Amino acid sequence: MRLLNVVSFCFTVASAFLLYSLNYETRRLEAEVQTKERVADLARSDIAILKAERSHLSRPDRIDSIARAQGLGPPRAEQLARPGVALRGSNAPRLAEGQ
Amino acid sequence: MRRGVTITPGLPPPVASVRPRRPIIANVMLLATVVLAFGTIAGQLLYLGTKNGPQLSIAVTEQAATSYARPDIIDRNGRLLATDVEAPSLFADPAILLDKDEVVEKLATVFSDLDQAELRRSLSDKTRRFVWVRRGLSPAVAQRIHNLGLPGLSFRKELRRAYPAGELAGHVLGSVNLDNKGTSGIEKYIDEAVGVEAVHSATLSDRAPVRLSLDMGVQHTLEDELETAYRRYHTEGAAGVVLDVKTGEIVASASLPKIDPARPGMALDPHLIDRIAGGSYELGSVFKTITVAMALDAGTTAATVFDVRQPLVSGRFTITDMHPAGRPLSVAEVFTHSSNVGAGMMALGAGPEKFSDFLKRAGLLDPMKTEAGPISPPQVPQKWDQLELITVSYGHGIAVAPLQFATAAAALVNGGTKLVPTFLKYRSNTPGALPLVSAETSREIARLMRLNVLDADGTGKRADVPGYRVGGKTGTAERADNGGYQKKAVISSFLAAFPTDEPRYLTFVLLFEPDGIGETNGQRTASTNAAPVTARLIRRIAPQLGVAPQETALTD
Repeated sequence: MRLLNVVSFCFTVASAFLLYSLNYETRRLEAEVQTKERVADLARSDIAILKAERSHLSRPDRIDSIARAQGLGPPRAEQLARPGVALRGSNAPRLAEGQ
Repeated sequence: MRRGVTITPGLPPPVASVRPRRPIIANVMLLATVVLAFGTIAGQLLYLGTKNGPQLSIAVTEQAATSYARPDIIDRNGRLLATDVEAPSLFADPAILLDKDEVVEKLATVFSDLDQAELRRSLSDKTRRFVWVRRGLSPAVAQRIHNLGLPGLSFRKELRRAYPAGELAGHVLGSVNLDNKGTSGIEKYIDEAVGVEAVHSATLSDRAPVRLSLDMGVQHTLEDELETAYRRYHTEGAAGVVLDVKTGEIVASASLPKIDPARPGMALDPHLIDRIAGGSYELGSVFKTITVAMALDAGTTAATVFDVRQPLVSGRFTITDMHPAGRPLSVAEVFTHSSNVGAGMMALGAGPEKFSDFLKRAGLLDPMKTEAGPISPPQVPQKWDQLELITVSYGHGIAVAPLQFATAAAALVNGGTKLVPTFLKYRSNTPGALPLVSAETSREIARLMRLNVLDADGTGKRADVPGYRVGGKTGTAERADNGGYQKKAVISSFLAAFPTDEPRYLTFVLLFEPDGIGETNGQRTASTNAAPVTARLIRRIAPQLGVAPQETALTD
């Protein structure tokens, strides 16, 4: 019976220790999760802002004025070619069928 | 606790050692209970440690800080038109504020337009723990306030709606209020039909973006050309719409002066209304497209001749042509010469019942709505007498929103199928709708529109774009004012379809009160201003829309 007492005492101490370390581990994991969530939230917010900034930079009226400053303009009808159709009066090579 | 007791034989057992004998089984049971209890606790711990149940969390709700997470808005090609970004908002806690006058004064150095008296009043109430000072700050401003080092002021991150393309399609997109809730246009539609999440912090929405039918490039081109026209002809306003005649998708819709969706107050200014969907106007001669289509569908042919030499007289009114031909005109010529008398005779020939029934089937008499909200309702004659028949035939005495008119006109050139205009990509149009006109009539209308541009005498000849087979009809309507019409204040418009051999797109451009300028010889008519604007527009948008130029026209 003494043995049983010792065993159950040890068991109590062990479970108390287990409980403590589990508790401690849980808090640590919680903190880790929170840190990761904060990082993820920050990244998500950065993505949203970068997405908006990219669209702002590529907005058509800005591209339009930049392109015109480079001497570019809207495509003219005679600049568009279709496969298999040669442009008369030009040196454009004729594309063979199926090429 | 061994219970072994030494018993001396022959002597009675000592009294002190007399104890009740407990059976071993009781001890075992006690032990088992203890083990079971600890085991249960350990088991429960293990269970709690390993189970992956739903995360339990407690949300602290604070009514003052509710806002809405909205899905993005993108154009038909996936380019971003509206999105949510996080922005710091400044609030004060009056209970822990040390010196409210100092706070107000220092804040006024950052916000020059701060209402100091109002803020002082709300900060005086010590029972409040939460007072918004300013919402949706830029990071730089937030840093400046932080640097003031005032206790009792804090920030919280909130969602703010951002429109990266600026004023582009401002009238269509609508706007949101301070809580990020949609109040007009597509933004309101998102609240009502797509859904938004109420959030207490800056949580971005994970809903799929709302894909519009608008094409950002075409929309920009339309706004750019209207802007040029707005300045060149000194107009009071300008508007235009580009419709896909097969699907009813609105590829571009613009109204000048533009509004900025990020500044919701602008939409209240009557000068800045959406002239495409938010106003009804007498459109003038473009309306003859409808009248001629009705006549053709009823069996008249393009060669049928009307004697337009005599003006039409109805009561005390006399209806004449602006440029009398002095000879009988065929239906085709009535269209290309834009003869009021000819159109009036077609309407009279059909009679009030047939004519109004056709307009009703075309969807021109009943209110209509799109995802961006209701279209300004048409103003139609109360009765259909002779005079109303004649005036409506050439677009007076009936006022419709340009979008509603363009939708009806699109049905005339797409093979005769009625359309429902939409701002969403790929919304299925109501199947089984009765055709408005026959396919032959539709082809004939497209041919007449092309003729009006090709003909040397045609009113639309300045709308031609080599290669793209543009067809169209002009309209110059005097604006009604105090019961009369003003000669100098006109709405000049041009309705165009291209390519006319198989119409795919329809454009409708309107200039409000253009001035006559040197280039137009002082004229205000649509053939001198709206038609060339349309030509410039189509030259730029046709390649974007994938309309192939016709090869034969290229070498002209």
